[in-house]
Amino acid sequence: MNTDAPQVYGKKAGTLALLVGLVFTGFAGFGFYQGWVAGDSRPLMSWLIGIAFWLSIAVGMLFITQIWHVFHARWPTILRRQCEHGFSAFPVLLILFIPLLLVPFLHENPGLLWKWMNGVNELPGHGTVGEDPIYVWKQPYLNINFFTVRAVGVFFTFILLATFLRKWSFDTDKTGDINNTHKARRLSSIGLFLCAGAATMGAIDWFKALEYHWFSTMYGVWFFAASMRAALAILLILSVILVTRGYLKGILKQSHRYDIGCMMLAFTVFWAYISFSQYFLVYNANIPEETFWYNIREKNGWWPISMCLVFGHFLIPFLILLWYKSKIVVWRSVAISAWILTFHIIDLYWNIVPGKIPAENDYGYTVRPFTVEIFDLAAIIGFGGLCIWAFCRSMNKAEPIPVRDPNIENSLNYIE
Amino acid sequence: MSVPHAIIASFPDTPSFYHAAEKVRDAGYKKWDTYSSFPVHGMPQAQGQPRSKVPIFTFCGGITGFALGLSIVWYMNYFDYPLIVGGKPFFSPVFPFPIMYELTILLAAFGTLGGMFLTNLLPQHHNPFFESDTFLEVAGDRLLIAIEARDPKFDVQSTRQFLESIGGTNIEEITV
Amino acid sequence: MASSPNDSPLSPTQAAILSKVEPAELVEQPLVANDRDFNWVTNKICRIVETKTPTWWWVCMAMALLTASFTGMGLAYLVSTGVGVWGLANPINWGWAIVNFVFWIGIGHAGTLISAVLCLLKQGWRTSINRAAEAMTIFAVICAGIFPLFHVGRIWFAWWLFPLPNANAIWPQFRSPLEWDVFAVSTYGTVSVLFWYMGMIPDLGVLRDRAVQRLKLGAYEGSSWLTKRMDIFRKYFYAIFAMGWRNAGNHWRNYEMAYLVLAGLSTPLVLSVHTIVSFDFAVAQLPGWHTTIFPPYFVAGAIFSGFGMVLTLMLPLRAVYGLHDLITQRHIDNMCKICLGTGSIVGYAYIMEFFIAWYGANPYESFAFINRGFGQYSWAYYMMFACNVFTPQLFWFKAVRRNAALVWVMSIFINVGMWFERFVITVTSLANDFLPSSWGYYSPTIVDVFTFFGTFGVFSVLFLMFVRFLPLMPIGEVKYVMPQADPHCHSSHQKGEQH
Repeated sequence: MNTDAPQVYGKKAGTLALLVGLVFTGFAGFGFYQGWVAGDSRPLMSWLIGIAFWLSIAVGMLFITQIWHVFHARWPTILRRQCEHGFSAFPVLLILFIPLLLVPFLHENPGLLWKWMNGVNELPGHGTVGEDPIYVWKQPYLNINFFTVRAVGVFFTFILLATFLRKWSFDTDKTGDINNTHKARRLSSIGLFLCAGAATMGAIDWFKALEYHWFSTMYGVWFFAASMRAALAILLILSVILVTRGYLKGILKQSHRYDIGCMMLAFTVFWAYISFSQYFLVYNANIPEETFWYNIREKNGWWPISMCLVFGHFLIPFLILLWYKSKIVVWRSVAISAWILTFHIIDLYWNIVPGKIPAENDYGYTVRPFTVEIFDLAAIIGFGGLCIWAFCRSMNKAEPIPVRDPNIENSLNYIE
Repeated sequence: MSVPHAIIASFPDTPSFYHAAEKVRDAGYKKWDTYSSFPVHGMPQAQGQPRSKVPIFTFCGGITGFALGLSIVWYMNYFDYPLIVGGKPFFSPVFPFPIMYELTILLAAFGTLGGMFLTNLLPQHHNPFFESDTFLEVAGDRLLIAIEARDPKFDVQSTRQFLESIGGTNIEEITV
Repeated sequence: MASSPNDSPLSPTQAAILSKVEPAELVEQPLVANDRDFNWVTNKICRIVETKTPTWWWVCMAMALLTASFTGMGLAYLVSTGVGVWGLANPINWGWAIVNFVFWIGIGHAGTLISAVLCLLKQGWRTSINRAAEAMTIFAVICAGIFPLFHVGRIWFAWWLFPLPNANAIWPQFRSPLEWDVFAVSTYGTVSVLFWYMGMIPDLGVLRDRAVQRLKLGAYEGSSWLTKRMDIFRKYFYAIFAMGWRNAGNHWRNYEMAYLVLAGLSTPLVLSVHTIVSFDFAVAQLPGWHTTIFPPYFVAGAIFSGFGMVLTLMLPLRAVYGLHDLITQRHIDNMCKICLGTGSIVGYAYIMEFFIAWYGANPYESFAFINRGFGQYSWAYYMMFACNVFTPQLFWFKAVRRNAALVWVMSIFINVGMWFERFVITVTSLANDFLPSSWGYYSPTIVDVFTFFGTFGVFSVLFLMFVRFLPLMPIGEVKYVMPQADPHCHSSHQKGEQH
């Protein structure tokens, strides 16, 4: 056994990330404050986009870890540890989410971001939210107290699952206790359902209910698919960085990257399948209660963005990932991952930003246009910095790879 | 008449079979192959074979299918006999999607199977190997390496010695 | 400890990490039990085809043919009389025919899942069940195809479904989900046959070589005259379909790539087929049909029912042919767990549908779901819920999974439950739609019942033929997951954890 002093990993990177995170989060917070004062919801959306992006990655990692446990996967054992470090982002994200939860309680317009939270908010052509029969019908679900309870519950579920999976895995490093593996498998088989429920609830509450008239049973599955894609892309970039920084050099091989690439391809197809089916069914049935959601995404600058998703988020990565070389050549796989992450952000914009704003025109409303605000970038970079800081801190709490996991040798010796 | 076709050698277990294949590769033989009733993990690399070309056939099949699906819907429902149904446009990339999708997969699958046959040079109604009783035992558990006479380095004596030197047993000459 | 020949040189840090690698001992059941060797596997699988036809087979065949004749009679009556012999009447113009169609096509999906999705996920345990499951797929698609084909009424015009020029100079209407179905189901059937056939080529080669071997040995003293003639027949029959397969490394290389590609093609295909089947319902505006989760929900349900059917078929076969070393408890455990998983996904979809029906604030939609739970068909709804959501929950318990008889009974429950799911979706929504004045109640006629009952016979006839004449398991793939087949495993008798 090695008796050297434990090596410290990622200290510089962690400090840098913390610094960047604090500065940019502070800047995004400034935007948040401005929006708060001016009663403008757009800077709050920046904050929501930032959280949605990093949360989707953490949720995707939680899903993928549990899927690997349930399927008794061997090859990704060394990657699983990186996901477990990623779990440490959940508490950070919960803290970052609190300002959004405070809006309905502290702001003079509780419905500043989620317009249903304030009965006097105006609807295009419908009077106000309070008079809206659809809102009245949905009130037992869409009310501020229940919303808050659900949000806390969703985060609590994620944090609880993540904590146990991390703890057992880290414990195996020291004790080599096989029961940890069994426990993790059992928890994961239940955890997948808890996680699916929590992610669905989060997606419905935070994104779908922005335009609360709309409904789709597929929405939770969309969020799952999007999260998986984001998590896989980050995992690939991360593994390449960790190899070049020496942390996983010689340990993580081409075959691991190849398999992540295959999973990226699979989930690219899955995301397209879910998104397309949702669109296709709404298109074909042509019921106005549903089609408006897609209609507003064809107006005011959103049409090119919608097309961008079809081609940029599906067709191009799909065709590129079909090719063997793009899964094994390092720079190509990193480039395609970065590409997917970029379009994942656009997908989140596309789901979050467009909304009807009452206006004096023929339609009675305009659509909030597609804009990339400086605060969006600040939130994405800032929250990312904090998450990466949490990741780097976690890196020193356990071995770089689960050295005593029963499948570690299969993973180390893995060839395609 | 007995023109040599190949020399075959048997190996007792998978690891020795695998490592023998690596040695044949390193000795510079070109026209040779391994024979086993199951695919051996990593054998293409041990034999120094490139990645299979089958996906190219798949891709061509898929593209053909996609184009075919797109064009039949356009031709039949837009060009040749426009039908007004359900307030939908005569042509749009949305509703024919299932057709294009299915035809893509159908033709890609045919391309794949055809590609497998073509790259393996099958069907083949006869091969001198089938005359050998030892060769037929590959169906059970025999593991064989055969070096063929058309290999430029082939020489009845030296090849036989080489196969012995890498651990081959039951060395047998197959003739045409 | 852990090294492979093509490692890049390690830094001292990495060497230090690797020096700590000391995997905990995990005892896993091997995929082929009792340390069998390659020859045993070959003999076990090939002798099912090569030995004398067992008596039970003839008995089952006779019963299956008898059952199948019910479909024959039902269809003959239908063709000679008209579609009116089925219980379809306004407003329920889609009754058992579509229910049975979706039921059978769904069953097929497990076969493709096992051969394709589990292949991509590198699940070694799929090998011993995949051939039979693929056969099940093809036969289930055949049974499924019967219903829409005869539902067109004038069966001799069924070719109009395909985009072929006809005397009226009109073409199929591509905006119709039923036309998409034609493409989806025929593609699915064709690709499944291709995949099945390609997977069988090496095994057909094995059967051919064994027949040639026996003929060369000529040891037919004392056996009946038929034995030798059967071997001659086998030599030619299997040789034709084996296409000259030689078990060469080069063959395997291209074969494995083609297999992987076909798996990659079949996965989106199997998703698309049930997706398109779900479009039959979901593109409509009928309450209870138009819901966006239908595609993945139908796919999960299909896989669920298919695994139910795989268990229904494989457990008796395992007992009859003594295949306990090839289909081990681990296989059964895994299949039960997949039933549990997919059953729970179906449960998620039921709950989501219910929730969104309320959340969507559409009174018709809400009514459709309350009507399912408390209306005239509530018995079917409870049947469905109990069988599909609650039954598989028993699979959480090891004791249940280890009781083969109980698992078999539960697999029947799953089949029943999934049939009722399609019944609930189809019939409840049609029977009670927007206008109460046009509501109705649907019951099948005896012709419906006979035709459906008979399809189990059609399926059994085909499956029995398969068991008798074709290799029940992919021999090469079963060997591939055995520890002896690992080129890096230095003792040929190491236990299963190597894999």
